[in-house]
Amino acid sequence: MRDELIEILEEIRPDVDFENEENLITDGILDSIDVVSLVGEIDEAFDVQIHVEDLTPDNFNSVDAIIALIEKIQDED
Amino acid sequence: MYQNVLEWLENTSEDKFDKVIYKDVDNSITFKEVMDKSKAIGSGILEYEYTDKPIVVLSDRKVNTPVIFFGIIYSGHCYAPLDGTQPEFRLASIAQSIKPDYIIADEKFYDMAAKIAPDAKLLKAEELMESAICEEKLQKVRSVASITDPLYIIYTSGSTGVPKGVITSHESLMCYIDAYVEVMGIDDSDVLGNQSPLDYIAAIRDIYIPIKCKASMFIIPKQYFSLPAKLFDALNEEKITSVGWSVSALTIPATMGAFDYTTPKYLKKICFSGSVMPGKVLAVWQKHVSDALYVNQYGPTEATASCTYYKVDHQVEDDEKLPIGRPYRNYRVFLLDEEDKPVPVGSKGQICVGGPILALGYYNAPELTAKSFIQNPSNNSYRELIYKTGDLGSYDEDGILHFHGRMDRQIKYMGHRVELGEIEVAALRVDNMHECCVIFNSEKDQIMLFYTGECTSKEIAVELRKTLPGFMVPRKVIGLDNMPRLSNGKIDMQALKNYKSNK
Repeated sequence: MRDELIEILEEIRPDVDFENEENLITDGILDSIDVVSLVGEIDEAFDVQIHVEDLTPDNFNSVDAIIALIEKIQDED
Repeated sequence: MYQNVLEWLENTSEDKFDKVIYKDVDNSITFKEVMDKSKAIGSGILEYEYTDKPIVVLSDRKVNTPVIFFGIIYSGHCYAPLDGTQPEFRLASIAQSIKPDYIIADEKFYDMAAKIAPDAKLLKAEELMESAICEEKLQKVRSVASITDPLYIIYTSGSTGVPKGVITSHESLMCYIDAYVEVMGIDDSDVLGNQSPLDYIAAIRDIYIPIKCKASMFIIPKQYFSLPAKLFDALNEEKITSVGWSVSALTIPATMGAFDYTTPKYLKKICFSGSVMPGKVLAVWQKHVSDALYVNQYGPTEATASCTYYKVDHQVEDDEKLPIGRPYRNYRVFLLDEEDKPVPVGSKGQICVGGPILALGYYNAPELTAKSFIQNPSNNSYRELIYKTGDLGSYDEDGILHFHGRMDRQIKYMGHRVELGEIEVAALRVDNMHECCVIFNSEKDQIMLFYTGECTSKEIAVELRKTLPGFMVPRKVIGLDNMPRLSNGKIDMQALKNYKSNK
């Protein structure tokens, strides 16, 4: 899952070092254009539905956080 | 009759002195504090030798930024606002076109100010605010002021790769704000929610309506617009009643299901502009915030942000295309055909605008100004300047204007005006780039860059981020072996639009 997610992220923002960023949202590295694209791609690639309540800085600040969110949603289904 | 926007601030009655006018997540500032601090800044600037050039402001979205603008107006200058979070290259190219004598920055941007305008004297905002107020000097400045004096210069995308500085007068700004406030019915009970960067044209409402109407304004953090639940929480916590947002700022919460989470309870006046509002998005908003006034606004920076407005008076259908409506008070909006002849009702023509809201021109660009602001071709009797927007429209029998797209390669994206040519010029600076073409995929609402050359999409994205604001950097960068071409040798843009990834 990790590789696939990083591939998605790098397609949207090839300039960002996703392995080492811990504050993607808090530091404003990802903007609304990125987040909207990202949510659409994740929903499609991992067959999940990210809800509006899930759109918090904590859930999107790092690759690990995004993976944790995807796994949480998959478990709930 | 007012002749200077600062008179709006100065006629604030004493009972409003302690009211909060601007607020951000860290600070708030009252009317009285704004009045005192801006006079201090104005007096501080007047300690230095007079210049007839605009004063550049390098700041970002915080409560003191409008205060710096007002301080510059007090000193008798016009201000050129720049958001310090923009790429250095772009800021420097704008600073170069202004060649300012003074640049005002707050602490966060001292270093950037020195980098982008090395020949200008850096005035520190924090120090200027501590200056002693000299009423006599401020009065002297005001005594020679005129309503047609330039107020600000705002930079917008230019197709040749160089941003254009649109100069707006006190008169134009006051005409627009008066007309907007009348349409929206804004008064001192309103709390505005600011979305736009403060150096951008859409922010003039959030800056000036509070001083005119004695309303308040909250600067909503940028990240909240990616996180709709946080955005709606903020709207409710700050009791925001009125917003003037880009269409995209309203689209994201609607499409991400924010209304399942909560509803903005205080929001009553909603104006949107910047691009065409999808009917299905507005329908969602109308369903959940049903008693609000919805206004579709249309217009370019060159006409002080606006030309026309349309008050939505019915529940819209999912596939409905909203008209752009009627001219604001004091605006003349009419259509001309390709031969500069007036267009009959029902036919399409180029949207042209005239009146006191017309910009004074582009800064340090007399040729471009002469080409863009022209004598009304249907008036041979006296001097009457108009601006041709490059947009197509048609009037219906009720005098309502309908929008039919652009005549050139300018698009509106996330509320911003973007010349696709400017992105191409920037991309061609990347090493080992042979050729490129930028297109806008309206179905996916995405800017796409196609290129040939040995550079990688990563190198391109990294380079573009150094020169362009984030919203202009394509999120799809696609390398091709050959550009598709038409028989005349030009790039086949239609083929690129139909491009399907074979991944």
